[in-house]
Amino acid sequence: MLADALTIVLTGTGMLFFFAGTAGIIRFPDTLSRLHALTKADNVGLGLLILGLAFQAPDLLTLGKLALVWALALVAAGTTAQLVARSAWQSGEQSAERSADAHDPAESTLRGDP
Amino acid sequence: MSGGLTFDSSRIGRAARRGVPLAVIWLVLAGGGGEALVVGAIIVPLATWLSLFLLPGGVPLRFGPLAALFPRFVWQSLIGGIDVARRAFHPQLPIRPGRLRIAVALPEGGRVALGGELSLMPGTLAAGCDGDHLLVHVLDLDHDIEAAVREEERRVRGTINRARTSGGVT
Repeated sequence: MLADALTIVLTGTGMLFFFAGTAGIIRFPDTLSRLHALTKADNVGLGLLILGLAFQAPDLLTLGKLALVWALALVAAGTTAQLVARSAWQSGEQSAERSADAHDPAESTLRGDP
Repeated sequence: MSGGLTFDSSRIGRAARRGVPLAVIWLVLAGGGGEALVVGAIIVPLATWLSLFLLPGGVPLRFGPLAALFPRFVWQSLIGGIDVARRAFHPQLPIRPGRLRIAVALPEGGRVALGGELSLMPGTLAAGCDGDHLLVHVLDLDHDIEAAVREEERRVRGTINRARTSGGVT
């Protein structure tokens, strides 16, 4: 009973963080800022989700699988976030060289389609 | 397969350092049943060989000190998530994004570890390195980011395996 309550609270809170990550993608002005929302909020969301599900795990093996999912997703997200960030950083520098205008044309078009 | 027939103790040690974690992962994935063990007995050595083939240099981090950093890392990433969620939901969208280049005196593996850590901490996102400068995107320039990065750099330095990266640390 207590385990079920903890699962509901933890997974529910986790969903809030996924929602925050999505809100950040839509509302933040440029690629790099959006990455902040994606990596950080979704990371906490996944952590809470896994923690909530852990209370439903029937045995240690399932617990281990949940921990493995969490760890692998964390490493994958951290690595891809750095790769996307590096690429966004470089294209930002190129567009800054192209024009004195502070606005990045590539990012303005991105802003147009959420 | 190059040199696969000549065994020396350092090679066996290296294979064990790669193989044991992989074996644990296999056991978690497949369970301890009979058939799973048979498949694992083939897959784990293959995966170990592939790992050594793709990354022969070894992982330049010490896992003891890294594990000691883990609770702080979990806590900081929780703060980071709450911070960015608050900003994403806030009606006025309180962000002031900017880019910083911060000189970091760490070897390659340490810079990557620091970058990964910063990306989950409040307000910072690593965008790779330029020489020995770490490229950091900041969500709110009003915070003293450089001091926070220095603090993390000091902590990460303790996890670097100096024996394998000698000369890289200044």
